[in-house]
Amino acid sequence: MKNQLLFSAKNITKSFHGAQALKGVDLDVNEGEVIGLIGENGAGKSTFLKIIIGVQPQTSGEMTMYGKPFAPSNPLEANAKGVGMVYQEQSLITTLSVGQNIFFGREKEFRKYGFVNWNKMYAEAKCVLNAIGIDNINPKKKVIDLNFATRQMIEIAKVVALTKQTGNNEKCLILLDEPTSVLNEEEVQRLFVEIRNITKQGHSVIFVSHRLDEVLEISDRVYVYKDGENAGNMAAEEATEKKMYELMVGRTTTTEYYHLDRQIVPSEEVILEAKDLGLWGCFQHCDFKLHRGEILGICGVVGSGKEEICSVICGDERATSGALFVKGKFTRYQSPAEALKDGVLMIPKERIYEGVIRGLSVEDNIAMSNAKHLKKRGLVSRKSVAAQANEWIKKLRIKTPGKDALVINLSGGNQQKVVFARALLSGADIIILNHPTRGVDVGAKEEIYGFIRDVVSEGKAVILLGDTLEECSSLSNRVLVMRDGLITGEFGAAVGEKPSQVELVRMMV
Amino acid sequence: MTKINKKHLPLYFSSAVIILLIVVFSLIESRFLNAANMANLLSDAAPLLIMAAGMTPVLLLGSIDLSVGSVCSVANVFALTILLSFQGTHWTLGTAVLVSFGLTALAAIAAGAIMGLVHVKLKIPSFIATLAFMSIWSSVALLISSAPIAIPRQLWGMVAWYDISVGPFSLPLFIALLFIVIYYVILTRTVFGRGIYAIGGNERCARIAGVPVDRVKVSVFAINAFCAALASIFLVAKAKSAAPTVGDGFTLMVIAAVVLGGTSLVGGVGNVINTIFGVFIVALISNGMNIIGVDVFWQRIVFGVILLVAVAINTDRTSRSIAVK
Repeated sequence: MKNQLLFSAKNITKSFHGAQALKGVDLDVNEGEVIGLIGENGAGKSTFLKIIIGVQPQTSGEMTMYGKPFAPSNPLEANAKGVGMVYQEQSLITTLSVGQNIFFGREKEFRKYGFVNWNKMYAEAKCVLNAIGIDNINPKKKVIDLNFATRQMIEIAKVVALTKQTGNNEKCLILLDEPTSVLNEEEVQRLFVEIRNITKQGHSVIFVSHRLDEVLEISDRVYVYKDGENAGNMAAEEATEKKMYELMVGRTTTTEYYHLDRQIVPSEEVILEAKDLGLWGCFQHCDFKLHRGEILGICGVVGSGKEEICSVICGDERATSGALFVKGKFTRYQSPAEALKDGVLMIPKERIYEGVIRGLSVEDNIAMSNAKHLKKRGLVSRKSVAAQANEWIKKLRIKTPGKDALVINLSGGNQQKVVFARALLSGADIIILNHPTRGVDVGAKEEIYGFIRDVVSEGKAVILLGDTLEECSSLSNRVLVMRDGLITGEFGAAVGEKPSQVELVRMMV
Repeated sequence: MTKINKKHLPLYFSSAVIILLIVVFSLIESRFLNAANMANLLSDAAPLLIMAAGMTPVLLLGSIDLSVGSVCSVANVFALTILLSFQGTHWTLGTAVLVSFGLTALAAIAAGAIMGLVHVKLKIPSFIATLAFMSIWSSVALLISSAPIAIPRQLWGMVAWYDISVGPFSLPLFIALLFIVIYYVILTRTVFGRGIYAIGGNERCARIAGVPVDRVKVSVFAINAFCAALASIFLVAKAKSAAPTVGDGFTLMVIAAVVLGGTSLVGGVGNVINTIFGVFIVALISNGMNIIGVDVFWQRIVFGVILLVAVAINTDRTSRSIAVK
């Protein structure tokens, strides 16, 4: 039964505005198979899934389903042909029942005299649940009362229900994008049992995860993507975690890219110290020191607590245990404004939602954190604001029609440079960089790395959450590894002694 | 040079509406344009101007304050009650006026600050927080005095300043305009004012960038309440009496005026100078309807429709992503 080819993709490429996200990847799925798909952030996994489900078209390459061409122009079309996807973020409406969620948007099919025939809907929901082997759930139950693993299964059931509309004997292909990131150990195991139930019916699953042990456990075959290319595929029996690590991160570090020649040795002066710092439910018992002139990288998977540490340091959230000392002073910030007074500022991860004010001009954005230093005779001087903007547009080579242009009209990389200009001008000497190069093209990335080097050479200190492991370890003087809210490792990262990514990943998962 | 600056569009629009209104009303009723009515219109606009000036930054924040009318009512009866309590004491009229108006202003600032704190600290949306305070303050006003209070004729001297005027410009109008100019400078040229625009543009971003969001918001609400109190003092002086329901109709007119002035309801866009134009549109319609004898009950219907029209014109409906709540 496992030999029947269900889905096949050949030489898929995808480019976004000149940047190639996929450089020709292949993937074959047989009936009843679980395919593990792994790769670093930006390796092209999500892009590939989005192409399969029809959210975006490929630039070139072909896909087939049971040998017939498969080119969905939207997810609904893909669903009709038997392909469904469970997204990383849960999409169930928690206040509705399981049955209502499964048939959400399809209530018309159950209409009787203008009203929804609930009995019929719940009966069919029951059938769907049985079909994927979870018959112990009452479809009338509210989603909010279910645990995450079960919710994940409902999502899968919903996808199966959608994809089964054709009604013939063809099997479904279900795409799971990091389904385990919100689950705990036990829930993951329960999910795996359910996945095996589904595949027993002949349906197939593509399973994307950052946790290699899980991928090994559940998959029949594993594909490794790296930089938009197929770095290898193997049967699960042949795969080992070590083998997969190497395929995933196996590129040699390009020294120049990260300006390694400009990496300096930090001073001995401790500028920030965390003692047994914790935020309830996010991280705990964190001890570390940050020195002047140092770049401290923190790596860990999503949910490891690294983001929350940044929130606490920059004053966005308040620690629930332990202590934070900034320049020797005990602090407990109520707001980022208070933290900025001590010279602590964060460049946030979500540029559009937290970094820039898109409806304001470039000059106003740049002056946002330091307007009080631009006062002349008690009023903020427009001339100073403009002069400062012009100076920094030149300095950081921000491509903008002018200082008066609205930030919304700038490209992502240039918006990020505006955020950098603002942060560097704020007078902060402890700068937290939360994914400073997220969504930034290669050229701008390298420039930003240069700015980061400049910052520390001025005696400031940086805490860095990198977009990739390589970025994090290459830029940093020291790397902390976090897992499940705890610091699990610390590596010195002087030039020439960078920790290998295999080592880092091992501590992360 | 021929290109129309988009920034000034609300200004062109409101000027056109003002001219249109003047033409229409004077065609219907010739008395509309006579000097007495115009002077009347200008000085009557003062309370509305002050309140609209206070409301503008509230909308710039992306918030709203539904309680201004009730605050105005409370301040109205509060001020006069205190003023009259000086009757028969040895204090001079001047001291009595200063003390009562000063206390009223301070109380209003405190009330506004408390409301702001409730809004930011308890994270209650401004719409709900101010709706609740609207109910609270309108009751408090009635508790202070359930019936209108008149200033006895012998004490009219206390509010004589209200009638001082130079040509068509009365003292209250002058104060209101001066206040707006000062507020304009504060909004555009101080760290506080820039913070308001930043919060309105993207509150999350402003917070992370170190703008003291809570403090700015509380201050804006406090200033807004102060404006309502100042307006209520004008109303006392004008009517030579106080009434616990005097501010009821104002909330709607104030918001309509600010929105007609081009200030966006989602925050971040607009300025207080343009609000002057919005106020005069509302004042003209109000005065015009009185002159041509429109029933008071019908007037409220008209103002309701004006608010809807103002918001509909003002709202950016191009973006499909923003849900209307």
